[in-house]
Amino acid sequence: MADVEMKPVDEEKKAEEGKKEEAKEQSAPPLTPVAEIKANVALIERAVSTLEPRFMHRVLRTLGALRKKLDDSVLREAISEVYTTESPTKKTLLEWLPAAPSADHSMDIDSAPAPKQSQPEPVPESEVYFRLLILHHLLTSQNTYTQAMDLAHETIERTQSLNRRSMDPIAAKVWYAVERTYELSGQLADARPLFLAAQRTASLRHDDETQASLINRLLRSYIQFSLYDQADKLVSKTTFPSSAGNPQFARYHYYLGRIKAVQLNYTAAHTNLQQAIRRAPPAKTAPGFYQAVHKLSVVVDLLMGEIPERSLFRHPVLEKALSGYFEIVKAVRMGSLSQFRSTLSKYASLFEQDRTYTLIVRLRQNVIKTGIRRLSLSYSRISLRDICVKLHLDSEEDAEYIVGKAIRDGVIEGRIVHEKGWMDCGGQKSGYGPEVSDVFARRISYCLELHNQSVKAMRYPLNAHRKELAAAEGAREREKELAKELQEGGDLDDEGPDLGEGF
Amino acid sequence: MAPTQFVSAYKQLQQAFSARPSDPKKCASLLASLKIALSELGLLVPMGEASLEDMVMARDVLEIGAFFSIRSRDIPSFDRYYSQLQTYYNDYKCVPYTVLPPSPREYPIRGLYLIRLLTQNRIADFHTTLESLPLAADSLTANPYIQHPVNLERWLMEGSYSKVWKAREEAPAEEYRFFVDSLMETIRNEIASCEEAAYESLPLKDAGTLLFFTSQSELLSFAKQRGWQVNLTAGTITFAKKGEEKIEIPKEKLIAANLALARELEQIV
Repeated sequence: MADVEMKPVDEEKKAEEGKKEEAKEQSAPPLTPVAEIKANVALIERAVSTLEPRFMHRVLRTLGALRKKLDDSVLREAISEVYTTESPTKKTLLEWLPAAPSADHSMDIDSAPAPKQSQPEPVPESEVYFRLLILHHLLTSQNTYTQAMDLAHETIERTQSLNRRSMDPIAAKVWYAVERTYELSGQLADARPLFLAAQRTASLRHDDETQASLINRLLRSYIQFSLYDQADKLVSKTTFPSSAGNPQFARYHYYLGRIKAVQLNYTAAHTNLQQAIRRAPPAKTAPGFYQAVHKLSVVVDLLMGEIPERSLFRHPVLEKALSGYFEIVKAVRMGSLSQFRSTLSKYASLFEQDRTYTLIVRLRQNVIKTGIRRLSLSYSRISLRDICVKLHLDSEEDAEYIVGKAIRDGVIEGRIVHEKGWMDCGGQKSGYGPEVSDVFARRISYCLELHNQSVKAMRYPLNAHRKELAAAEGAREREKELAKELQEGGDLDDEGPDLGEGF
Repeated sequence: MAPTQFVSAYKQLQQAFSARPSDPKKCASLLASLKIALSELGLLVPMGEASLEDMVMARDVLEIGAFFSIRSRDIPSFDRYYSQLQTYYNDYKCVPYTVLPPSPREYPIRGLYLIRLLTQNRIADFHTTLESLPLAADSLTANPYIQHPVNLERWLMEGSYSKVWKAREEAPAEEYRFFVDSLMETIRNEIASCEEAAYESLPLKDAGTLLFFTSQSELLSFAKQRGWQVNLTAGTITFAKKGEEKIEIPKEKLIAANLALARELEQIV
């Protein structure tokens, strides 16, 4: 689950997350990392043999937590315990780790007793899983980045040449690690052709997991470099696989929301961000992503002319991260341009860092509109001069144009009487018309879709119906036998019907 | 290396372009031949490794072409030059590619493109382009070439049309003025649509000032174009009333929605 943490989380947040996970671990029965890896490998075997990707996903869910506990000796021990026989795979895997100190070696011999020798070679999925673990481990220190890059390339080649569908979930994770490798060594832009090629292969092979992961990788890379045009084209040319996991969907919706917001399509952006929030893991598990989505969603809400709820800013995970945005919300709510301006300059660097600055700058007109709306609600007639003074506008002439635009855009109902220099504010529209039924239909269809999707999402144990079938079959057999007996034994006539009815 | 005649043509173009007054015919013919040469050298859309000087030259040619097409009011040609220059501006500045020295004309051209988007009312594209500028967001206002379109957009959006009108003379580069006319056209239409919604009637004189017309005949022809009723004796313009139109109840749509609803409910129960 920690998979969804946004990559640019700062150190502080990561530490926080780490603490939380530690706390969780203490309550759970302690499991050594080696044992955990072994259990995971067993699960992978099971997943491959039963063709049930559920087990694979269970393994990959622990990846985030496991990642933090890895070190050279853990990995080495795990590899030598899983690969008991001397095989080329084992050798290549061990090559990526620094040579073991001799003390460790003797222990290895102890812990790998002879009876396991007969075990067959583990499935290739396990090998790739180990590669993934090693890759994550190499990424923890700066010195091994080049090594990580080599391993990443080799692993990609390996997964692609094996071309096994049971490998897909792991391959998707490998791609994430590859992106991380490129990013940490500062060459994110160079990874794009690689991702594009892999995306094409994945979509040809109907490899949904990898495809979902790669689309997100690409979008992220484009957005990182502000290439919104390209990102938009990628979105329009690809279809995001509907079977992708929630974390991938959450990311995808977040990126879509970003693109839409930049293109001024705030309604669509809002829908996407809502989806991202709903699909994201709980706030405490992935605080980075949760905060990033909410930051953007607050700004988009404001741009749509809505004021986010107050309770949002009291959320323990969000409170600190959203403090700057809270100030902005206050300024917009008040419709005070001067307050807006001072807040903007105060938090400029923060917004710049969150890449929301340009979006927030667009709010300026919303501040004015909110101001006008407030005035139009509280006065039935107000002179343009007063509007000008109250909203800190530069001239009466401007005020006239601005009010005119507000009326045309449907922000307020009213008329300007030019000769007298005032604005007549009309009454509110009655909120009843065909649009009411539209809204109703939209809500109902949302509920229905939710229902249908939850029905679809239900899981049934495989082959569970076989038992029932067998039972039904047996009953039928018995009935047949009975009928036969009844036919044969004509002398039991008077008891026959009773027996028959009993069945 | 580029052939010598290419270099000499390039030098000629530079001279012809910077000469006052510049020679449009000579520029046009030189540009045409240079573009052919560029595509022969594989520099029009640079692929692979080209030498630094060649690429700088190619970029200069394209930049001059962009300015020239604005001077000769050929907007589609400006668009073409702009998209060709994108490669030079965006891709050739980080390590794996040749790093070109930044061009002094880069921001004027980007600014011009932004204004061009504004005049066409392509606000979404405007913001996308703005977002992809390689500048920190809060330093956008520090660059005069970018600041101008950014301010224009802000004023247009909030409705301070008089500020736009006043700013038309403050263009940071000569070429920006070429867009003023079409920009004025855009804002006049904006103002007109605002007036239709916000006023019942307006005195002719005031309407003229609001729309920045200096003569009455211009105003009258504009009014005719938009279908306003002009009462010359009273000196007023009356705007056609909208908004009172009858609201139809979309029966078929409602029925269809209800049927779909019933079917879905049936499925659940």
